Amino acid sequence: MNKVPAYMKRYIIRMAMSLALYMVILLAGLSWMNSGNPPGSPMAAALAILTALPILCVFWAIFRLLVEIEDEYQRLLMTKQIVIGTAVTLMIVTIWQFLNVYNVLGQGPQWIGAIWLAMFGLAGGLVRWKA
Amino acid sequence: MKNRLKVLRAERDWSQADLAERLKVSRQSVNAIETGKYDPSLPLAFKIADLFEMTIEDVFLKD
Repeated sequence: MNKVPAYMKRYIIRMAMSLALYMVILLAGLSWMNSGNPPGSPMAAALAILTALPILCVFWAIFRLLVEIEDEYQRLLMTKQIVIGTAVTLMIVTIWQFLNVYNVLGQGPQWIGAIWLAMFGLAGGLVRWKA
Repeated sequence: MKNRLKVLRAERDWSQADLAERLKVSRQSVNAIETGKYDPSLPLAFKIADLFEMTIEDVFLKD
């Protein structure tokens, strides 16, 4: 199967659209927040949720790919990738949380979604290297 | 599980990519099955056997 499968094309399109939308909303939102006339709290909350939505679409695209993959071995590799990425993320945030409890770090776990995406990416390399 | 995929493929002068295309899976999947890293599901095993016009037992062997 040399050509890119249809399910992978859909995944790439969904990811590209989500990330493009994220960049546009983030840049517009931050520009407004840092402008001379920033929005009030209700509008800022709406803006925060609006900025998060494309990232939620990124998660949706990843899990949708797991459903749509027709190649069973690739589905197994992706399942392993998600499990390893999730396990490493949980390890990081648990340790981070206790570092915060013991006053080693001033803040508890932040940007957990971003950590998961990074660990998911690293796990992909590991799983495919071992495959 | 052992299998005769490599031999059957060689008899037909097919590359892993050729077989992958016929099975509509990735070349990586064919390689994983061929080297015994991955045992295919029953539907895929039947598909492989059908492609070689053999029974599953003729393609896949007990350890």
